[in-house]
Amino acid sequence: MSELSVNHLLGIKYLQEKDIQLIFETADHFKKVINRPIKKVPSLRDITIANLFFENSTRTKLSFELAEKRLSADVINFSAGQSSVKKGETLIDTVNNILSMKVDMVVMRHPNPGAGVFLSKHVKANIINAGDGAHEHPTQALLDSYSIRERLGDVAGKNVVIVGDILHSRVALSNIYALKLQGANVMVCGPKTLLPKYIDQLGVKVETNLRKALQWCDVANMLRVQNERMDISYFPSTREYTQQFGVNKALLDSLDKEITIMHPGPINRGVEITSDVADSKQAIILDQVENGVAVRMAVIYLLASKIKQ
Amino acid sequence: MNVLIKSATIIDSKSDFHNTTQDILIEKGKISKISETIENTNNYKEINLENLHVSQGWFDSSVCFGEPGFEDRETIENGLKTAAKSGFTTVAMQANTHPIIDTNSAIAFINMKAQNNAVTLLPIGALTKNSESVDLAELYDMSTAGAVAFSDYKKPITNPNLLKIALQYASNFDGLVCSFPQENRISGNGVMNENITSTSLGLKGNPSLAEALQVARDLYLLEYTGGKLHIPTISTAESVALIRNAKKKKLDVTCSVAVHNLCLTDSELEDFDTHYKVLPPLRTQSDIDALIEGIKDGTIDMVTSDHNPVTIENKKIEFDYADYGTIGLESAFGALQTLFSTKKTIQLLTKGKSRFNVQSSIIAEGNTVDLALFNPDIKYTFTTSNIHSTSKNSLFLNKDLKGEVYGIIANNKTVL
Repeated sequence: MSELSVNHLLGIKYLQEKDIQLIFETADHFKKVINRPIKKVPSLRDITIANLFFENSTRTKLSFELAEKRLSADVINFSAGQSSVKKGETLIDTVNNILSMKVDMVVMRHPNPGAGVFLSKHVKANIINAGDGAHEHPTQALLDSYSIRERLGDVAGKNVVIVGDILHSRVALSNIYALKLQGANVMVCGPKTLLPKYIDQLGVKVETNLRKALQWCDVANMLRVQNERMDISYFPSTREYTQQFGVNKALLDSLDKEITIMHPGPINRGVEITSDVADSKQAIILDQVENGVAVRMAVIYLLASKIKQ
Repeated sequence: MNVLIKSATIIDSKSDFHNTTQDILIEKGKISKISETIENTNNYKEINLENLHVSQGWFDSSVCFGEPGFEDRETIENGLKTAAKSGFTTVAMQANTHPIIDTNSAIAFINMKAQNNAVTLLPIGALTKNSESVDLAELYDMSTAGAVAFSDYKKPITNPNLLKIALQYASNFDGLVCSFPQENRISGNGVMNENITSTSLGLKGNPSLAEALQVARDLYLLEYTGGKLHIPTISTAESVALIRNAKKKKLDVTCSVAVHNLCLTDSELEDFDTHYKVLPPLRTQSDIDALIEGIKDGTIDMVTSDHNPVTIENKKIEFDYADYGTIGLESAFGALQTLFSTKKTIQLLTKGKSRFNVQSSIIAEGNTVDLALFNPDIKYTFTTSNIHSTSKNSLFLNKDLKGEVYGIIANNKTVL
């Protein structure tokens, strides 16, 4: 198979396992490209991509923009703060106006779950979801799995725990779908207030004791507590959260094996992860960032090749 | 108005002609003769329709028409036409207009707009001033103008003492108090049922617990105060159990369920389709099973279309931003018939009348004519061509339904 089964990347749950493998094989190639002295290929000279960010982002936006530029696509950027959205324009109208300027592909971050799915039904463009509320963040999950594959050789059969604020996390949901699709065993760990009540029905283990979770896993993906998404207080204080769900060097050293530590960023040092862990050789946090560009290049390239057909 | 209905099968368990096919002669708004064959000696207008069935006109205890204030959603005139085309001869209209219907004069305005119509519109007055859940509206004054019940529609009464006082006060004049079953502090920002689907979609969940807590609270209050309580549109198995138990204790409580909460589960939302965004939310199959059991054993007193027109501008947007609600009058009969027999469906569509002081008119010679006309056997896919409402926000679009309505004869008028 040399093409994706989908025309959009709206979420991992719309992908098949072979799509993920194709993305990874393509990303292997692009990872070599971005480590050459000339980090660019001319593949997408005829493609224009709009990055529509209706919610703040730094690393994801930069990563997408770099990926697009290294594929030689034309890139336009748009964020809600400078847009007519604030004047009352609908999402469909905003995007259709941009598409009228002959844009081929849209990368969108949006605060509402399902915004990408909604848009894909009403506009004519290939859409990449760069995060929609607490729904999905598929490229993050892809780069996470790619990084596990790079570090441990394979994702299948590995025990991966996702720690922290699962309730408000699109990263957690996409990671669960991606890891399950590739045959990994998945656990979520956090305070019960931040675990969705029915999460076990997605086929994941649920644990509220961090030590037990770390003892079980090969990889721990530490999530940030998303205070900005919380309407009420889900735990009494950051101090208490850290006491129960923060990873520190002493805790890692007390395990009877060496596990891999991941974090999608941005890190709150001293909260979910201490500096000595974040900067240790067990952590692959910066590898994730580097792989993010290669994986996004792969996704964009594969979707663009469908446009060209 | 004089009409001769030819070969109509009568579905009315209280009528001597139940389950028989008859001609029905209607003169000056009354049924003057029922017989197997009636000659049209006076050359009256004849109604001769395929597989024609008639029953007592249907009643809906909760519709919204948007007038005054939201006429772009629906007007009273077209809303009543829609009701008539859907078999309903009496509808109770919610007070969620702009301004809110919370005074005697506002009730009078609604009555004035709906007069001389084939469909009888019963206004529901707001329970609290401006439906703000702070101070009681002038309930007695509204009742003298014709308000049949008092409700803040989907706004729950957050303060239990306010509901206590409302129940006590309204009992002075036998007023019916409605309390929407949702504890807002538990439902939070939930936009669909909390379950595996909400988890997989990343949408905030509204747990059935929010409904159960409010129902339990309201029933305890009713036990203390006495009075008449109606709990509109329950949606969970827990609510059925709580109300069943309250009825055993002889509390004066009734409840309704929305047709769509009987037919569809929250799995419909998997594609983020805002047509399925309703309140209370679509729940699970086990909730549906319990609701149907509640209908069978009489715990649930009536079904409602919970007809709520929403413009496309407020539906064709991101899920979180879209308004709640579906229209339901046009699809009510056809949807219920996918679950129940025709006889049971008619019973469900007429059973709520007494609670809202609506007179029933049995199909018998000498009685006032109040009829729904329909073909119960036809199967079809529900599309926008079946919609009479100004707004087209139906969650039954593209669903297979059974039974089409021809119209009504009521208030000395025929709408077909």
